[in-house]
Amino acid sequence: MNDMRPLERMVNTDNIKISARNCHVFYGDTQAIKDVNVDIEDHTVTAFIGPSGCGKSTFLRCLNRMNDTIDICRVKGTFLIDGADIYDKSVDPVQLRAKVGMVFQKPNPFPKSIYDNVAYGPKIHGMARTKAELDEIVERSLRRGAIWNEVKDRLHAPGTGLSGGQQQRLCIARAVATNPEVLLMDEPCSALDPIATAQVEELIDELRAQFTVVIVTHSMQQAARVSQKTAFFHLGNLVEFGETGQIFTSPQDPRTESYITGRIG
Amino acid sequence: METHMTQEPHIARVFDRDLEAVQAIIMKMGGLVEDAILGASEALTARDEELAAKVRKNDAQIDALEDQVNTEAARVLALRAPAAGDLRTVLTVMKISANLERIGDYAKNMGKRTGVLAQMPAVDGTDGSLRRMAKAVQLMLKDVLDAYISRDAELAEDVRQRDREVDQMYNAIFREYLTHMLEDPRNITPCMHLHFIAKNIERMGDHVTSIAEQVIYLVTGEFPDEDRPKEDSTSFAGVDGTP
Amino acid sequence: MTDISANHTGLQGTSSDVVAAGLPRRNRKQSLVKTFGILAIGFAFLMLFILVGSLVLTGYKAFTQTHVTLDVFIDPEAVPADKLPRGGFNDVLASALISHFSDVDMTSRTEVRAATKILSNGAQFALRDQVVANPGLIGQTVTLTVPVSDTYDQLNKDLIDRDTPEQNRLLSNAEIARFDILKDAGMITKPLNTGLITNADSRFPELAGLRGALVGSFWALLVCFVISFPLGIGSAIYLEEFAPKNKISDFIEVNINNLAAVPSVVFGLLALAVFIGWFGMPRSAPIVGGMTLALMTMPTIIIATRAALKAVPPSIREAAMGVGASQQQVVFHHVLPLAMPGILTGTIIGLAQALGETAPLLLIGMNAFITSAPDSPFQAATALPTQIFIWADSPERGFVSRTSAAILVLLAFLITMNAIAIFLRNKFERKW
Repeated sequence: MNDMRPLERMVNTDNIKISARNCHVFYGDTQAIKDVNVDIEDHTVTAFIGPSGCGKSTFLRCLNRMNDTIDICRVKGTFLIDGADIYDKSVDPVQLRAKVGMVFQKPNPFPKSIYDNVAYGPKIHGMARTKAELDEIVERSLRRGAIWNEVKDRLHAPGTGLSGGQQQRLCIARAVATNPEVLLMDEPCSALDPIATAQVEELIDELRAQFTVVIVTHSMQQAARVSQKTAFFHLGNLVEFGETGQIFTSPQDPRTESYITGRIG
Repeated sequence: METHMTQEPHIARVFDRDLEAVQAIIMKMGGLVEDAILGASEALTARDEELAAKVRKNDAQIDALEDQVNTEAARVLALRAPAAGDLRTVLTVMKISANLERIGDYAKNMGKRTGVLAQMPAVDGTDGSLRRMAKAVQLMLKDVLDAYISRDAELAEDVRQRDREVDQMYNAIFREYLTHMLEDPRNITPCMHLHFIAKNIERMGDHVTSIAEQVIYLVTGEFPDEDRPKEDSTSFAGVDGTP
Repeated sequence: MTDISANHTGLQGTSSDVVAAGLPRRNRKQSLVKTFGILAIGFAFLMLFILVGSLVLTGYKAFTQTHVTLDVFIDPEAVPADKLPRGGFNDVLASALISHFSDVDMTSRTEVRAATKILSNGAQFALRDQVVANPGLIGQTVTLTVPVSDTYDQLNKDLIDRDTPEQNRLLSNAEIARFDILKDAGMITKPLNTGLITNADSRFPELAGLRGALVGSFWALLVCFVISFPLGIGSAIYLEEFAPKNKISDFIEVNINNLAAVPSVVFGLLALAVFIGWFGMPRSAPIVGGMTLALMTMPTIIIATRAALKAVPPSIREAAMGVGASQQQVVFHHVLPLAMPGILTGTIIGLAQALGETAPLLLIGMNAFITSAPDSPFQAATALPTQIFIWADSPERGFVSRTSAAILVLLAFLITMNAIAIFLRNKFERKW
């Protein structure tokens, strides 16, 4: 086969973007995350897999402090992005979320125009001083979201009028519009058909060049297709974390094996 | 039939049945190939043309089973997208069936040569070492199939090491045939045939070793290190029989 | 899994028989429920039909008013120009009217007074206003169309039966005869009763109108809206989006829900004690009425707003938060605009409720008899429902149909407001 493939797959293990140490998350009295330690590399797609309720989404939402909005949710431990603690008192979640973009399970464009959807983030953060600058940001973001060609003639049509796959790419464009460094994706394809899923997956692979992508997925095949590193969560524990190919051919932990081969476990 | 090293069954039970079915074919092939080795070696010793013909005929059955394994494995790959242990099971099943099919071919080739050898005078003291060698290979095959069933990497590693002995036997036979041929040129034709048979048996050993490596990969997820036992020194042997 | 499939085939034949046996009973029950539902709806419709029908039947006659057209010579002796606005307008009218009757002795004051009862009491004021506005009319003959008094209005609308024996009738034969003279002379007309809307209240049914009540209700509702809309939305947003979820906010929520169920008369008592008693605000004024209604409407608006805010899908909040919007930006940029149709609908329905509310207004004195429309919310006034209450209480027969007419006017306003609410909801409702 192509000699470039192994090179392409290789990830630079020296460049840690996100580092989580001794992380615990509690919802009221129940513990959703138990002592998770993980290092997520820059310019890598890292997939979180695991059965429902295993804590993978909870953990993802710790990375941009979306859990802050849930009253009963308590987060313990250290979360570092580029070595800085994101739960430090001096960090405003609003500022953090501009740096850590998020794409959700259901495509959720604002009921506004396509343009306004993408321009909203840069607008509220004051990233563009003139209309021309804003136009430029919108175009660049839509191009990054691989949807520019489909919507460039109808930027002022409502974003909710697009197809599911287009909506999700619009949401990705919206997330990258604030120029984040990390992109979190919470089951971004679970509401899409296979073709739209393939388009979004291809986009995720392209985004890796510019962003650190962390994706939660229920589909193990999707994790296998898009990610370079895979973390398997089970009952709030990080059971196994490693190179995706290794996880899917010879996982080290019997629980991982049971889960990815579709056994009761 | 218990063929699983893993704990629980799949949630989709039909997946279990698919995997068990394809592995059952492997075991059936293994049995047929064992019989072929034994039969070929017996036919050779007894110069039994009828038995030899039967061995040749039975090979078609082995070939058919290999096709069946490939079809089933392709089905499982396409429909179940197996991962981890399941993926390794399917991958190894395909390779093992190829190995078994090759072993069957060698047995068939022995049967053919037995037909020719039956028309020639016997060369004294040659059949015994060939039969011992065939027996050793057949035992290795039996053990490796046991290792496969019980997912026993240690037993597979043991089989892998035993290939060394087969290679040594072959070296000895090689020198013995050289001696016979030097002694009497009339021995050259039968000895050439006998040598090919010996080489076939040695190759069977190599395929069994390959199966053992597949078993190790299946169980551990890693191929054994490349310190593969190689005692076949005949490639470097001169006419005087010394390396 | 396999157990099910194993048993399934064995049971199939018998089970379908069992199902078939039970079917008629199940179908019967279903049609019973359906019939009951249809009957219930039919009954409700019948009642509504009877209500509206009876209102229309009694009320429709109040939408016209009998008028008499007279050529009045404004005698400068009776109405001296230098004494305006005072003057013998009644005498002028009387002579204009009586000139048509041969049987009335102009010198007998009793007979003249009896004969002029045909004219409404308001006729002389109508003439006075006209003359005061244009003193040049003195000494000339003007054509004047004035309402007839209630009794003759009844007669003209066939509400007084001419076949009733004279002693049981409100009008004597002679009086009827005089009216018929005017009628035969073509002087009696029955135009649309614009006075019902443009006149304020009066002791005399033929002059009484809803203007004061309409303006009073308008001021009260305006005050109610200005107070309850921002306060209601503000508290709803705070409770729904910002307040920590704890015992205190739970307690407040329960109390708001209870507040919506408090009988309105209690709010009236509260307003009487607090607004009028302590703060010394004017009695009977729409401002107090509006504040009282605001107290009642606010829980409704809060509940409607919270429901509308809750109905905004969380995905929109997450999306906004995900790009880094602050809580306040999430609410004001995304959630509130999406919830607005629901909020407006709730508000309009709350206001419609307030429009029909009577008890608290009675308690703060908005049932006073006031013959002019208020110019500001600080003047005494009545409101639509209290006006209906006053009229329903009045003994004059003319008020019977006017009460029904007033109810129809009130219903028309309520239906209009609800229609606006439905329109807003359908027009601005977002689909996602």
